[in-house]
Amino acid sequence: MAGGEIRGGYMGKLLRVNLSTGETWDEPLDLERATMYIGGSAMGGRILLDEVPPGVGPFDEENRLMFLSGPFSGTSVPGSGTYTVVTKGPLTNQAATAQSNGWFGARIKAAGYDGIIIQGIAPNWVYLVVNDGVVEIRDASDVLGRDTQETQTYLMETLGLPKASVACIGAAGETMVLYANISSDFAHFASTNGIGAVMGSKKLKAIVIKGSKPIPVADPEGMRKLGLEDLRKVGEIDKKTGWSIQGTTGVLAWCNEVAALPVHNMRKTHHPEAWKIDGERLNNARVATYGCPNCTMRCGITILDYEGRESELDYENIGMLGSNLDIFELDQVASLNYLCDDYGLDTISAGAVLAFYADAIEQGAIKGDFRFGDAEMAKKLLGMAARREGEIGNLLADGSLRMARKIGHNSEAYAMQVKGLEISAYNCKFIPGMALAFGTSPIGAHHKESWVITFELKQTARDSYGPEKAAKVIELQRIRGGLFEFIVACRFPWIELGWDLEHYAEYFNKTTGLNWTLNDFWKVADRIYALMKFFWVREFPFWDRTRDYPPMVWFDPNNADTEGPIAGKVLELDKYNQLLDYYYEQRGWDKRGIPTRKTAEALDLKKEAAEVEKFTKLE
Amino acid sequence: MSGMNIRITVKLIGPFVNQLGFSEKTMEFPAEATVESVLSSLPLDPKRPRIVTRNGQAVAPGEKLNDGDRLAVSPLYSGG
Ligand code: SF4
Repeated sequence: MAGGEIRGGYMGKLLRVNLSTGETWDEPLDLERATMYIGGSAMGGRILLDEVPPGVGPFDEENRLMFLSGPFSGTSVPGSGTYTVVTKGPLTNQAATAQSNGWFGARIKAAGYDGIIIQGIAPNWVYLVVNDGVVEIRDASDVLGRDTQETQTYLMETLGLPKASVACIGAAGETMVLYANISSDFAHFASTNGIGAVMGSKKLKAIVIKGSKPIPVADPEGMRKLGLEDLRKVGEIDKKTGWSIQGTTGVLAWCNEVAALPVHNMRKTHHPEAWKIDGERLNNARVATYGCPNCTMRCGITILDYEGRESELDYENIGMLGSNLDIFELDQVASLNYLCDDYGLDTISAGAVLAFYADAIEQGAIKGDFRFGDAEMAKKLLGMAARREGEIGNLLADGSLRMARKIGHNSEAYAMQVKGLEISAYNCKFIPGMALAFGTSPIGAHHKESWVITFELKQTARDSYGPEKAAKVIELQRIRGGLFEFIVACRFPWIELGWDLEHYAEYFNKTTGLNWTLNDFWKVADRIYALMKFFWVREFPFWDRTRDYPPMVWFDPNNADTEGPIAGKVLELDKYNQLLDYYYEQRGWDKRGIPTRKTAEALDLKKEAAEVEKFTKLE
Repeated sequence: MSGMNIRITVKLIGPFVNQLGFSEKTMEFPAEATVESVLSSLPLDPKRPRIVTRNGQAVAPGEKLNDGDRLAVSPLYSGG
């Protein structure tokens, strides 16, 4: 049962930075709040609700950009160099949360902080240096215009801090492309929902962080032992199962088999040439392997791209920049991925935007030279988007929903996004549960919140819209969108190696000195989901369930596959509505998809519910 | 196709490719072959969780196979 006093896992303070005034100050961490929201996305979501009132735009001074650790960051938990960025993101105009692995999260703690909260807009471009608690805002004119990898090397060398971590934006963040990301520790990215554009809007090019402070934990010996033992076991299981041979990219061949691969702007679900870009080919082309600190899985697979540069690929990159664009040359996909990483563009949104553009041209909704399968043109377009070059660059830079609204001709129906955020690499035209997961994700469509597809295809009938699918979506949202996002640790050991979740409760208790069970975590997860919904409703008081719909093209019989496993099949709207009803009922939300007063009270959100009632009446 | 046999294509996914040493193979099996009988003829660890599809649809182990069926065997991915 929850309760008791926190005795470890936190450094006890947040670094506040106001870029408008140049002030920086330390703020004690509210430990009572930490027991309600733990860290990472939940803590950030709470702060966002308190400090960013409705109507504040993502690029306004009042928006906050938070780099948050969690109790596990920097501890002996496998995969715990992780951090989470939380802000109001420009694609959805709502809460954006993005997690990134690497070292940066551990270094936030080692520098003496639980998180860094940026507000304001600097008069000129700056970068922030946090070196063991000494904080400086420095002029960034010599770093401006450098790509993400070069920025990191340059700053570490110039500052003489080889053991620092740098989080920075590239060209796309500088020009505020609405799907610009933040790069850190070279091969890692906090990517979703234009958080890099928010960093750019604040004229903050980079944060350099270094520290040597020990991280207090309630049971240091217990943590050390457990951590060492688990690191060994994680490595052993990985070796035995062979998961890291292909890493996440093994999913590509599977999605192609079960008709879930994004092909041709998700109009198709499989392709005879998909094997050319699958995990097997990737592993064969591997030139290097990368990992994170304190992890024995080492899941990053790097190959040489078409131009001969190293590019690290995972399934989402290949699905969105490869098959979804009908590009089936692995080295060309690697080139597109390389460019995204260099410019600082989210690969999922970038792939979706290019595919939507090609589709709109094919449908005759807009004139243009880009065709599916044209890798060279795709490279040019990425550069134009990143630099916001000309009319086309600016069109592409604003994400698929805004593009569709500019293009018109009913193109919004095939802009593959939910709530403004592009759908990641799972084509759900006939996968109702996974479509529900995309539809109800509070940050817009993203697979990180709930990956229900294997459960759905293995344990239920594919065409079922039953309550068991809603239940599984919620279960996974609690774990993936909840637990791993607020304890702040890489979810791969649990996800891919079948690591027991109870381990995380054990780690949590040894770290904090609390005595929690998994049920306590689920309550925090439900609380943050309710809070995020309140955040939406505060902005859109006439909220209704249609906002939890996936793109309409998935319901369009004209869009059904003409051959293959799901020929003639698409989602059915009546049945999807039934599935949404199950989902809302199980969450204790009303038919609009808003938490009821009773649900809010059970989640200790009575005050917040009263606040939301100023905007809309709760049931 | 020889005599009473049926031809089944087995597609392996992810680390199963390395474990069994092939990616895709078309093989002959007796006409009464089921999903289970085909899988048990392969050196797959039966305790390892997996998802098996026939022609892109999940299939129960006892189901009888038809000539030309494609069986895909994948570990239970959880989506990065
Ligand atoms: S599993 Fe991969 S991403 Fe996660 S911590 Fe290990 S190396 Fe990093």
